[in-house]
Amino acid sequence: MSTQVHANLTDEQVQQISDELDEPEWLLETRLEALEALSDLEMPEVIRTPGRDWTNLYNLDFEGFVDPLNAAENKDQVGPEEVSILSMADALAKHEELVREYFGSVIDPQENYLTALQTALFSTGTVIHVPEGVAAEDVTIRTEMNSRSLFNYTLVITEESSSITILERQETGDDVKGERYYSGLVEIVAGENSSVQYGSLQNLSEETYHYSLKRGNADTYGTIDWIEGNIGSRLTKSSVETNLDGDGSETRIVGAFFGHEDQHFDIASRVWHNAEHTTADLITRGVLDDVARSVYEGVQNVGAGAWSTNSYQRENTLMLSDESEADASPKLIINNHDTEASHAATVGQVDQQDLFYMTSRGVDNRRAKNMLVEGFFVPVLSEIAVTEFRDDVEALIRDRLTGPVPVTPLPDEGEQGTA
Amino acid sequence: MSSEQDHLRDADTEARFEFKKEEKSAFKAEKGDLDEETIRVISEDKDEPEWMLERRLRALKQFHAMPMPTDWPGQPDLSEVDIAEIVPYIRPDIDVRGGVDDWNDLPDEIKDTFDKLGIPEAEKNALSGVGAQYESEIVYQNMQERWQEKGVIFCDMDKAVREYPDLVEEYFMTKAVPPSDNKFAALHGAIWSGGSFVYVPEDVTVEMPMQAYFRMNSEGMGQFEHTLIVAEENSEVHYIEGCSAPKYSEFNLHSGCVEVFVKDGAHVQYSTVQNWSKNTYNLNTKRAIAEKDATMEWVSGSMGSKATMLYPCTILKGPGATDTHITIAFAGEGQNIDTGAKVYHNAPNTKSTIESKSISKDGGRTNYRGLVHVADGAENSSTNVECDALMFDNESTSDTMPYMEIEESKVDVAHEATVGKIGDEDIFYLQSRGLDDDDAKQMIVAGFIEPITEELPIEYAVELNRLIELEMEGSLG
Repeated sequence: MSTQVHANLTDEQVQQISDELDEPEWLLETRLEALEALSDLEMPEVIRTPGRDWTNLYNLDFEGFVDPLNAAENKDQVGPEEVSILSMADALAKHEELVREYFGSVIDPQENYLTALQTALFSTGTVIHVPEGVAAEDVTIRTEMNSRSLFNYTLVITEESSSITILERQETGDDVKGERYYSGLVEIVAGENSSVQYGSLQNLSEETYHYSLKRGNADTYGTIDWIEGNIGSRLTKSSVETNLDGDGSETRIVGAFFGHEDQHFDIASRVWHNAEHTTADLITRGVLDDVARSVYEGVQNVGAGAWSTNSYQRENTLMLSDESEADASPKLIINNHDTEASHAATVGQVDQQDLFYMTSRGVDNRRAKNMLVEGFFVPVLSEIAVTEFRDDVEALIRDRLTGPVPVTPLPDEGEQGTA
Repeated sequence: MSSEQDHLRDADTEARFEFKKEEKSAFKAEKGDLDEETIRVISEDKDEPEWMLERRLRALKQFHAMPMPTDWPGQPDLSEVDIAEIVPYIRPDIDVRGGVDDWNDLPDEIKDTFDKLGIPEAEKNALSGVGAQYESEIVYQNMQERWQEKGVIFCDMDKAVREYPDLVEEYFMTKAVPPSDNKFAALHGAIWSGGSFVYVPEDVTVEMPMQAYFRMNSEGMGQFEHTLIVAEENSEVHYIEGCSAPKYSEFNLHSGCVEVFVKDGAHVQYSTVQNWSKNTYNLNTKRAIAEKDATMEWVSGSMGSKATMLYPCTILKGPGATDTHITIAFAGEGQNIDTGAKVYHNAPNTKSTIESKSISKDGGRTNYRGLVHVADGAENSSTNVECDALMFDNESTSDTMPYMEIEESKVDVAHEATVGKIGDEDIFYLQSRGLDDDDAKQMIVAGFIEPITEELPIEYAVELNRLIELEMEGSLG
């Protein structure tokens, strides 16, 4: 455990962040408790095998990355009128009871060191509330980080029989010298028979360390579908998780990553089947080039009460370079025998026969390889129902294949961020 | 089924394992905190050379320095395993050290033990040689003459230390399993006793399997046999180990160690039918090093024990080496069978295939825990892992935890796992053909594990099926 004294983190700073957002007392308390707990908390779990830590978070000085009082961002939070999409400060002003009820209800603020760090220091957030029976699409949240560090919090609450599609993008704006840190927590409370589709596309600069924990609780007949795209960052530690708490609830976790140079992606998809007739489908595909490294963990945990469960997981990694490394651990924890569960994982390179076939048809080697890589992602991309989002992911993959392109600037008319 | 196997089929299998003999020993190390003195006493009783004593003492230091493994996700509870409560060494009351070569020379109660287990009968029919261990020492050791003439060595490990010191000193816990590997390997290195030494010279194929049988009879004892197999270039051998013990209220500990050296082009199959009593902790370390174009095959059936932690490992060191793991685990009431496979691909063109089947019922837990590591430079390697689990009821647990570490891109890596219950439709179909519910389930299980049984000589396949039938009868009746 990190035993460093919080040289640059103080109660006063947390107080100041809270004051600037005009927060109620209970939230300030929660923040201060999280700060207090930091020295006792462990880093998020990483996989260890004899002689190896798949990701070593203890080597990183997270508090050193942090510049708590200088958070700056550019944010878009747009969506249809019938849905309430508010910044954290507005949400606290208008629906304090709602926020108080659900904040920290899915992810314990003190679950680990990094969630506590985020809880103490977060300065920006979005609260989305979908009233009963409302079917809404196209909520987009774009976050451009312009400071050294940024802590972003998202809470989604869907009432009975509502539905929503949320697309989130994280990018880095202004050049800041040295290492940066982006942390994001997403909590989803999906009410009975409601449906949430949450897409996230991370394209942070490659000096940025990135921690993300997204977790949703699905009530009876609820559905939570996740799409998790990771392209940018120096190191990503990300986990996307669903608790299938209600009978008949469902989840799908679709993941795509493309690492190059010395990027390190530690990505997890996890689902807990806690009720009857629940279904999970986990699909992740990733590509690695140069000396990039990926770590994948998939967990399908079927509880003793989860009768009549279906749970599937697939993970495939394609290695483009001999110097890259792919680690994977798909896990099945089954406590109910009335279950149909399976998982499969593969690691390989571009199929030489396919490549030969294409070059024999006159396609040059580089283009043929690029086409095969794009093709490799198709089974994942075809799971993405929102065309615009799929196009964005595809574009980033193509950019990665064809070389560096300038970061797309955000439109000027975008709402200026808080803090 | 041929008549030769009828004796196995008809015998009351449970009675064959579940009998106790009065404890009679010539020498017994008392339980208590394991210290240098105990080690010196054991080593002296064995009349060992100085280098072996030194290795034991070094391992003892490592054992005391290492923590108990407690932080593996979902691992069996080892809190009951207190080494101070274990009788580390019992030399049975026999005249000839290193094993007699005639069953009739054994004291009646020991001979009777192995008769009941069917070992002399199997030796006549299907084996090239047999070693039988009772408590801490080998009591019977014999091999057919034609293999001796070809230079094959099959003897008890203690004897090997004295008679083949060069070979043993070179290979014993130096290259495959150093005592520092894990806490129980260190414990083993300190107080090992008995086991087999097998040496197969170049170009020799031992056509019939060799067998070693390990029997614990006394309450609260630990058995720590060491098996060392060296298969020289282009040789071939199949080694089978069987083990059992009667059940006591106190726990027993089995912490064996197996080291296999498979030289260029050689082929070793290592088969285990483990049926320890359900108060035994079975914490073993098994490792093989396969050189160029060598083949290592592990075939394991884990039926017994209270808790097992065993992950046979192959290091594919030479180009073109091949590994096969076939494992079956059956966990009934109160059992936690945590087993799997480890393979290190350290050279190009290496290949591994892991097939794991597990069955859990009556609250038993099985876990497949496996590691496949493909090192940078091990190009054109391929590995294929398949895990299937069958669950009988809702009190049982079946976990699958594979780990894959791939540092090389020119590889073909695939892992697949499924978990399910016995299909109601399959049972209905068989019932509609006139089978009752129990027979239908047994038949489905027999089909499920067939890939394993077909790898074993018929005697052992029958034995394995019989053991599983016995496990199933327990709750179905």
